[in-house]
Amino acid sequence: MLKLLLIGIKDLKLMFRDRAALTFMLLAPFLLTIGMGFVTGRFSGRSTGLSDIPVIIVNLDKADLGNALEDLFHSDDLTDLVEPTASSDPEAARQLIDDDQASAAIIIPEGFTQSIIPAEGTMFDSNSVQPDPVQIEVYTNPSRPTGAGIIKAIVDEFVSRVEEGRTSGMTSLSQMMASGLLNPQDAQAEASNQFQNVDQTESTAITLKTNTEGSQAVEFDLLAYFAPGMALMFLMYTVSYGGRSILAERSEGTLPRLMISPTHNAQVLGGKVLGIFFMGVAQVGILILASTMFFQVKWGDALGIVVLILAAVFGATGWGMLITAFARTPSQVASTGSAVMLIFGILGGSFISLERFPPFMQTISKITPNAWGLDGFTTLALGGTLRNLTEPITALLIMGAGLFVIAVFLFNRNGLVQK
Amino acid sequence: MKKILAIVWKDIIIRFASSSELLFFIILPIVFTFLLAGGTPSGDDDNRIRLLVVDEANTTISQQIIQELENSTAVRPEVTTREEAQSQFDERRASAVFIIPAGIDVDSLQSGSAEVEMLQQPNNINTTVQERAVLTAIRRVSSSISAAQNAVNQREAKQPFASDAEKQAYFESSLELAQSIQADAPERVTVVEGLTEDQIEYDPRANSSAGQLITWVFIPLFGISALFAGERQGGTLRRLLTSPSSKATFLLGTISGQVVMALVQMLLLVGFGILAMKLNWGREPLALFVILFTSALAAAAFGTTMGTFIKTEGQASGLSIMFGMVFALMGGCWYPLELFPATIQNAVKVLPTTWAMQGMLDLVLRGGGLVDVLPEAGVLLGFAVLFFSVGVLRFRYE
Repeated sequence: MLKLLLIGIKDLKLMFRDRAALTFMLLAPFLLTIGMGFVTGRFSGRSTGLSDIPVIIVNLDKADLGNALEDLFHSDDLTDLVEPTASSDPEAARQLIDDDQASAAIIIPEGFTQSIIPAEGTMFDSNSVQPDPVQIEVYTNPSRPTGAGIIKAIVDEFVSRVEEGRTSGMTSLSQMMASGLLNPQDAQAEASNQFQNVDQTESTAITLKTNTEGSQAVEFDLLAYFAPGMALMFLMYTVSYGGRSILAERSEGTLPRLMISPTHNAQVLGGKVLGIFFMGVAQVGILILASTMFFQVKWGDALGIVVLILAAVFGATGWGMLITAFARTPSQVASTGSAVMLIFGILGGSFISLERFPPFMQTISKITPNAWGLDGFTTLALGGTLRNLTEPITALLIMGAGLFVIAVFLFNRNGLVQK
Repeated sequence: MKKILAIVWKDIIIRFASSSELLFFIILPIVFTFLLAGGTPSGDDDNRIRLLVVDEANTTISQQIIQELENSTAVRPEVTTREEAQSQFDERRASAVFIIPAGIDVDSLQSGSAEVEMLQQPNNINTTVQERAVLTAIRRVSSSISAAQNAVNQREAKQPFASDAEKQAYFESSLELAQSIQADAPERVTVVEGLTEDQIEYDPRANSSAGQLITWVFIPLFGISALFAGERQGGTLRRLLTSPSSKATFLLGTISGQVVMALVQMLLLVGFGILAMKLNWGREPLALFVILFTSALAAAAFGTTMGTFIKTEGQASGLSIMFGMVFALMGGCWYPLELFPATIQNAVKVLPTTWAMQGMLDLVLRGGGLVDVLPEAGVLLGFAVLFFSVGVLRFRYE
């Protein structure tokens, strides 16, 4: 065991002496993480999700329903979601949207309330002129489709509530009049009663039961996805760098020298593998620490992070060994390693979330430690704990062990670690 | 000239000695172009908030509710199983789950026993939006039944029904009336799309094709530094001193060889863009050549300068990939430059990738011609002059 450790630590020390490799393993993913931070708006506060959607409300109705809709946008329920501003000029409001100053403008025309709740004395008077329908205008900003869509949905929900109340009131009154339980003289008073709170109608046919579970809100930090994404991509370079050292030692003659020492072949190979594993853990660990220090990334459960890093490096080490087992020269390992690094980077979701890929690509991505690792990091960043990591950790351990067995078989067949 | 051609030929042989070079030369660039063209966000994406829906009822009513959710401008329903939804909810990958349990049908609505459920993550702003969308959907499906029920209740409060049959008849006539009122109801909301100009000019295919072309061509051109470092390390540069070849011949041969290979690689990727991605790369051949050539020169010049600072081949290849990837990301080759903060957009103008990308987008995205790409080509040529000057002045055989 001691020999195993000595060989592993020796390789780790060698890595830290290779400034070029260190630059590539640590600086490159760090710089790319910074770039992703800019792209995603993490550094400029654009990435915090939906909140404070700017909306301009022009209430020309100034009656019950117009006021109720305006009040809705100022309610406690929506206080974090929207940021309403009142205006009295529809044209000015539209211009603000055209100038990209808000997500949408809601223009409630004069007479909106009256078009839904008829004026006193006119509802059952066949001689009175019914008002023309008046439409609320939602003037949307096409460059902010999500915010505009949400504003429209809030208005829709309000209008559907009002419409249900109106339909219900009209139906009840008409039916009671038809069955003689309500005379036209009393109908107006009853109608006023029915329409008084038309904007607060609750559905009676279907009840929506809401169930809020858990106790703590978690704000997902985009860098908790992209920082490990880059670290895992460059981890593939590191494991192939480690594998390259096995072939380099053979061509430089230090591997045969190790073989003639009183050290078992398995110890030599195990030591080299341990060295690769140490390098990977050091690389990912340093990048995670640096991201925590410089960008205050919220990673989630610390124990989960440690176990996940170990499992991801183990899985990647398996790939490093397999690449080494197939290659004949250190430069072959280097070029194959770089190619695998890039392929796994894109397949594993380091550049783009896997959700954007078609299902078959998502299935293929499961061969990469990147995809499983990122799955785990995402779970933790969303508030999960080590208990929720069973699947990715098991997959990474099986991947590492399986690839290691294949690599050992190939090493033996090629006589790489034969005395 | 013969010597220059001999150096070019030698470098081509060395580069393609291993068949794995083809992987980096054409296969990976095509794979990346293809994947990023389909995977990066485009203006046509559905930006609505995802809402997991579990439909255990599978009735006309439940289908109508889901259809109403499909019409929502705020949420995008995704029908799944209860197990999958619960799993995603437990892992906090879904902010809410809307469950339509078995038994939700017209009868249950009429009896008032219909109850749907919504699991919500606490203090999550998305759930406010999702809940409103669900309420709108269930109201649209059930409001006439609600209205009929309400009419029955009000009638019953004034005068009880003589029999169940009378009550049912009252309900049915109320329902008919409610449906008729609902059908006659005018649209009360109109949506007008503003004239806001989209700040981000973006077509995933064009951006991916141009961006990946730059990424995969610039990295090997930066790798000229590795050629110099390798020859210096191996002592072959010193040997050249003893031959009747000047420094200029060696530099010209090495650099022009790499630029020619870069142009071939670019043309192959442009061909892929035209044939497989139906992009209009070939509309202005002269403008295309100008921007490709000046881009290759600028990258080769940067590689030459790098080669005079770097000591070993290992350092050079690592740094070439690092600079290539970082310059590509920051130059807008992977994601639109408009996504970066304004200060960064200005700062990255010092990178050749920024200008190469803008020039290529002028051609393939904005439909520009030679005159439109001349400013970018001029800046790239400026980069080339600057970096070649530094590189040649600093170049040493040892």
